[in-house]
Amino acid sequence: MSSTTTGVVSRRRRGVERAAWLLILPFCLLFLVFTAWPVVQSLFMSFTDTRNRDLRTPFAVEFVGLDNYVQAFADPIFRTAAANTAYFVLVGVPLTLAVALAAAVVLDKGISRFRAFFRLGFYTPVITSIVAVAVVWRFLLQDEYGLVNTVLGWVGIDGPNWLGDPDWSMPALILMAAWRNFGTAMIIFLAGLQAVPASLHEAASIDGAGALQRFRHITLPLLRPTILFVSVTTAIGYLQFFEEPYVMTNGGPLNSTISASMYTYRQFGFGNYGYASAMSYLIFVVIAVVTALQFRLLRERS
Amino acid sequence: MRRTSRTIAGVSALVLVLAACGRGEDRAGGETGADIGQGPATGTITVWAMGAEGEKLPALAKEFEDANPGVDVQVTAIPWDAAHNKFTSAITAGQAPDAAMVGSTWMGEFAGMKALDPTPGSIDENAFFEGAQRTTEVDGTSYGIPWYVETRLLFYRKDLAKTAGYETPPADWQGLKNMAKAMQAKAGAKFGIGLQAGGTGSWQTLLPFAWSNGAQLTKDNGGAYNFDSPEMKETLEYYGSFFSEGIADKEAPAQPTTEPDFVSGRVPMFISGPWMMSAVEKLGGPDFKDQYGVVPMPVKKTSSSFVGGSNLVVFKETKNRDTAWKFVNWLAQSQTQVKWYRQSTDLPSVKSAWQDPALSADTKLAAFGEQLDTAQSPPTFTTWEQAITALDTEVEKVARSGADPAGALKAAQSAADSIGTGK
Repeated sequence: MSSTTTGVVSRRRRGVERAAWLLILPFCLLFLVFTAWPVVQSLFMSFTDTRNRDLRTPFAVEFVGLDNYVQAFADPIFRTAAANTAYFVLVGVPLTLAVALAAAVVLDKGISRFRAFFRLGFYTPVITSIVAVAVVWRFLLQDEYGLVNTVLGWVGIDGPNWLGDPDWSMPALILMAAWRNFGTAMIIFLAGLQAVPASLHEAASIDGAGALQRFRHITLPLLRPTILFVSVTTAIGYLQFFEEPYVMTNGGPLNSTISASMYTYRQFGFGNYGYASAMSYLIFVVIAVVTALQFRLLRERS
Repeated sequence: MRRTSRTIAGVSALVLVLAACGRGEDRAGGETGADIGQGPATGTITVWAMGAEGEKLPALAKEFEDANPGVDVQVTAIPWDAAHNKFTSAITAGQAPDAAMVGSTWMGEFAGMKALDPTPGSIDENAFFEGAQRTTEVDGTSYGIPWYVETRLLFYRKDLAKTAGYETPPADWQGLKNMAKAMQAKAGAKFGIGLQAGGTGSWQTLLPFAWSNGAQLTKDNGGAYNFDSPEMKETLEYYGSFFSEGIADKEAPAQPTTEPDFVSGRVPMFISGPWMMSAVEKLGGPDFKDQYGVVPMPVKKTSSSFVGGSNLVVFKETKNRDTAWKFVNWLAQSQTQVKWYRQSTDLPSVKSAWQDPALSADTKLAAFGEQLDTAQSPPTFTTWEQAITALDTEVEKVARSGADPAGALKAAQSAADSIGTGK
């Protein structure tokens, strides 16, 4: 190749490059202003004593190093909130996944008539407004006249005061969250199940494997990527658990349902922007770690 | 090499930013705003108001416009949920309105952001109920005026009280408790009285008792919170005893069912504000009005309650300060306040307005008027909401799980001390 052609090519390439930059510039600007900047600013805030009165002069604040983070670890309510969140995730995620998988299997194999109807029914809670759902659930869970306790009464069980008793408030919220969220996971599981080749099941049953054995040794291993995806997205959502206590219990009774996100939100409301930012970053770190762990545990094994 | 120099540039930029940090010195208190100009009001002002007030204010503002030709009052109605955020972001962005209705517990915060204009000396502070006027004062400077007020009283079922053997309402603390017990024993009530078992906002039920017992919420000349005083301890012991003795429901839900419980007689007494009158009458039907009574808080050392409501403020950055204050001042006139009561049923903050027959003829309202003379307001510290949430949490432990009141108050005090007054 002669030097002139190289020159032409490189000039053309530079032109293409410039055009490419020009084309992605709007995105980059929007991303920098509305995504990157708030992230950087909130990180900066988490190392300062920013309060709401400082909003007009965001840099006229004292730099306090890791004080906010230290304070969070020493804050008894934040620790309670962290423990509540862990409780919610550790019980809620497996429960949601199990219910979703069961519903998906039933829809895939068990129900042949009205399948679309059931699929829609199971998915409806996902798209219903939490505020409306909360009102109905509060009625259902009422101590004396609630439907849940009335039904329990028929079989001789004296139901607890679901939302008023600190031991039962969290299980009540977990049940509600599982009911509200399993639809999404179910749809994805259903897609995963339909991708399991029928020929494998056939071959296995010819070899004398029962339904349970086939499920455990064929369906589950092939579903692994689906399970990974669903558990990661559900866990991320549940770690930021906020709406349920916000509309149902306001974190009570006795802070038994306050979550880390909700306590952070409260601190923002109090105007402690620095402290609240620090707590947000703690939640962010936990989400990152939990997600990494899930990838590690559920990755493809060859 | 190039990377190192870039790193150095980055680090030094960061150092510069950090070096620019740090707070300026703060002001001294006790300001009075400059006088309002003479002559008629002119020009356009924008006014923000929340909830029902936001919907009804334009009709009243029309009268101000009629009286002052050439003035245009533009009222923007804001939903309560969004109001606090909208105000803080508007203040930050320098986009605040000329005047606005502001929740009385936000005053410390907005004044702390240096957003509010001090009240001109020509507006008479003594025209208002003292407790309400106090809500406008931050560090000795008054910002704005109280617009309307509310206070908390004891509601009780007259008919059931008679069944329980009480012809007159309870006068003191012991009387209240005895009557609540009698309501359970003789009048078929499930619980004698509805009290909030801690949690958000329960301080509004607890503090009327505390103030009636002479408790002071600040100490060191207003330099610190004072939650663990002997008066507070005595109050919380009394308050907690309603729950431990089964007179009040310790497992009350977060969203209480006060109105239906009151009408059905399940819980025939509670403590709340004036809006509850229309709420229970709507539910109880046309004759219910005569079946219940409203009386001032039972006496311990005195009878006091909580005064809440909303204030009117003028923002510092207003372009039309004179007209904004003239409008605010007009809303604080006795006749305007009575007119506003008729339109909105908001209780007047101006004492002289209560002499109008529209208010003085109603015995229930008169009880509110009487209580307002002694009702008190919480300190206007910027951190009030946060500190009182700590107290709410501890009160909940006493009410729900029978924790020791002295220990609970000590915990609330140490939380409040670490939060500080925000100065």
